[in-house]
Amino acid sequence: MNNSNPLHWSFDYNYGAQNPQFAQELIRILRGYDPEVGTHGTQKVQAATHVYDILPNYWRGYSRGGVREELRIGTAIIERSKNGDNLWSYSVQYENTTSGENLEIKFRCSDEDYRPLTGTWSVDARNSGDDTYSRLSCEGYLTLDSEVRLRINDTEISAGTVDTSVKLTCNWAFFDVIPALAQTIRASGDGIDLAVLEDLEQLRRKSRLGFLESIQTPLPLDGYYLYGTGLLPSYWWLDAHGDIAIASTFFETLVLREKMGDRR
Amino acid sequence: MNERPNILFINTDQHSWDAISAYGNPYLRTPNIDELHRNGTSFRKSFCTDPVCAAARSSWATGLYTSETGVPFNGGYLHPEIPDLGQLLNAGGYRAFHCGKWHVPGRNVRESFQTLYYGKTDIGAGGAAYYDSASTHAVADFLTNYDSDEPFYLQIGYVDPHDVCEYLHNHEEKRIPNPLEQGTVSEDDLPPLSENFDYDERETVLHRVCRRVDDALIHAAILKGVRNWDELHWRYLRWNYYRFIEKVDAEIGRVLALLRETSLHHNTLIIFSADHGEACGSHQMFQKFTLYEESVRVPFIVACLGDGISIEKDRFDETHFVSGVDLFPTVCDYAGIDVPERIQGVSVRPLAEAKDVPWRDYAYIESNYWGRAIVTEEYKYVTEYKPKAVEDFSPPGPDAEQLGLSQLFDRHDDPGETKNLAEDAAYSEGVNACRNKLLAQEAQLHRQQIVHPSPKRVISNWGERLRAYWEHGR
Repeated sequence: MNNSNPLHWSFDYNYGAQNPQFAQELIRILRGYDPEVGTHGTQKVQAATHVYDILPNYWRGYSRGGVREELRIGTAIIERSKNGDNLWSYSVQYENTTSGENLEIKFRCSDEDYRPLTGTWSVDARNSGDDTYSRLSCEGYLTLDSEVRLRINDTEISAGTVDTSVKLTCNWAFFDVIPALAQTIRASGDGIDLAVLEDLEQLRRKSRLGFLESIQTPLPLDGYYLYGTGLLPSYWWLDAHGDIAIASTFFETLVLREKMGDRR
Repeated sequence: MNERPNILFINTDQHSWDAISAYGNPYLRTPNIDELHRNGTSFRKSFCTDPVCAAARSSWATGLYTSETGVPFNGGYLHPEIPDLGQLLNAGGYRAFHCGKWHVPGRNVRESFQTLYYGKTDIGAGGAAYYDSASTHAVADFLTNYDSDEPFYLQIGYVDPHDVCEYLHNHEEKRIPNPLEQGTVSEDDLPPLSENFDYDERETVLHRVCRRVDDALIHAAILKGVRNWDELHWRYLRWNYYRFIEKVDAEIGRVLALLRETSLHHNTLIIFSADHGEACGSHQMFQKFTLYEESVRVPFIVACLGDGISIEKDRFDETHFVSGVDLFPTVCDYAGIDVPERIQGVSVRPLAEAKDVPWRDYAYIESNYWGRAIVTEEYKYVTEYKPKAVEDFSPPGPDAEQLGLSQLFDRHDDPGETKNLAEDAAYSEGVNACRNKLLAQEAQLHRQQIVHPSPKRVISNWGERLRAYWEHGR
């Protein structure tokens, strides 16, 4: 791993008042992750778990001026396995110590590179803040007319309708969609279109996944970007082992800390 | 059904008046704010009281201008004896709730409202990426469980599009390639450069010292970063800004959908507004803190998704000057609660009902403690008070002798505010008329001395820099 700076602009936040320093933390986390444990090359994972630490970018509102021992402000754990019915089951745990929002997200996808959503899904939000709101459960499904329906405390609403010409996936499936479609995206030139149900609640109808560039620092990575209506650009960095090592928005950066999984 | 309506005040942060697709902006899609417009009256001449979060919000909370509230900038402190909207509503038989961003320093939101959600770490200026979806969850939980005979007032403070500030901060110390260099967004996708990107440099000293000079008092690091931008960077700022607005529009959409499905919509008044706008490249400026139109003019919609409240729908009010001080009395009017005598605002309810009532013919705006503006049908007049030789921490005005430099813009011929006419003899009458209006408005204000040490420090430090500029031109 190359420790020299500068980091790529899409995840370079090693300045300002971040303490501990961003680059130092990012490299420390990546160093702790052992790529040999996971999957290699084109072999398909049948069950895998990736654990990401969440680092704040520029924003320092999480600290309120206090001293912190670590920069990490949350964790995302993505578990998925392929079932006997040839569907992928995802379970995502997202913990954010700043908002207090802890999400448990469950969904299923067809066994396709785009990981299209199928069946029903659920979001269980629990909040550790000190105010009235502490928990919300939401279930969802896609109708035959491609309408996204959400059920919240027995009240059902529409979250919009998906254009049938594009696949609907969830942002938390990108950790598999991008590795699976990497060559397709690169070959496409302008990128590929898809619809995203962000956190299984917000429909982003028109989104585009494209290739950004390859870099060697802090390790060899291929970059991909996502943007679209209602979406700020995010950058996804795929390592040589087929894992998203870094995912960065304008606001936060997810860094791969650990992975566990079968290799078939 | 409650005789008195439920009241929902949805506010966004840093949302310019024209960044709504129903208002004809082709560069973004806001179907949910558009729905509010279709179900209500949009006041097109709506202005914040002060183009920065805490100050503008102190006016929402009190119905007073910011030289009266004690919060003339983000570091102010609300004078403790001034009643806030939550206190009045609770005393008046409403259940007053708050969710999301508050940002009125000096007043504990949890003491004035029942808070649905205010962050694990209290929500400060920014952080929409973390707080807004949680706020929607909290509101969804509230709306789907509300079971009371008492009417509610709920204010939802969404943080976006304020996260455009984080986007800007990211440019402080690194060069981010423009989108064409990145190979992401194509040039055809980008909005054009603002028509008023070029500006008249004859600005007030306050504006130069706060926003233009190398060591500007406000966000000098961003200023340094954007000086390396090319045209595509500025256009990409606008592109990103509109994405932030689309994000918050989607959050609002979920609230509106739940309101409908829970049948609360029939008798719920909805007010939508923003604390201030965003320059977004106009006048080669970013963020707020200026008295230009993009920074001070905000959406203000009064709507009802059902038929339980009489409101003229799908209508633009292009006539009446509405201000942030009007929120407080408007809410009280619908709630049937008397307002304190001293407040400056006026209820817009008759206007939402398309009634012909006497109304002010200008908007009055303050900025950065010393800055002032008057907007009339014809002109925008911007001026400043010179810092006092010996600061007494009483907000300045009205004092014609202490006024500094001025800007005058013809709102019809130059809506982009690109030509300062203040020194043009042909416009002396307009300058005088606006200045007299300003001084007359200020004579009605109840200013109080700033006593909290934190804002006093800001006034001292900024005042020193301003005095130096007046004396030495730098």
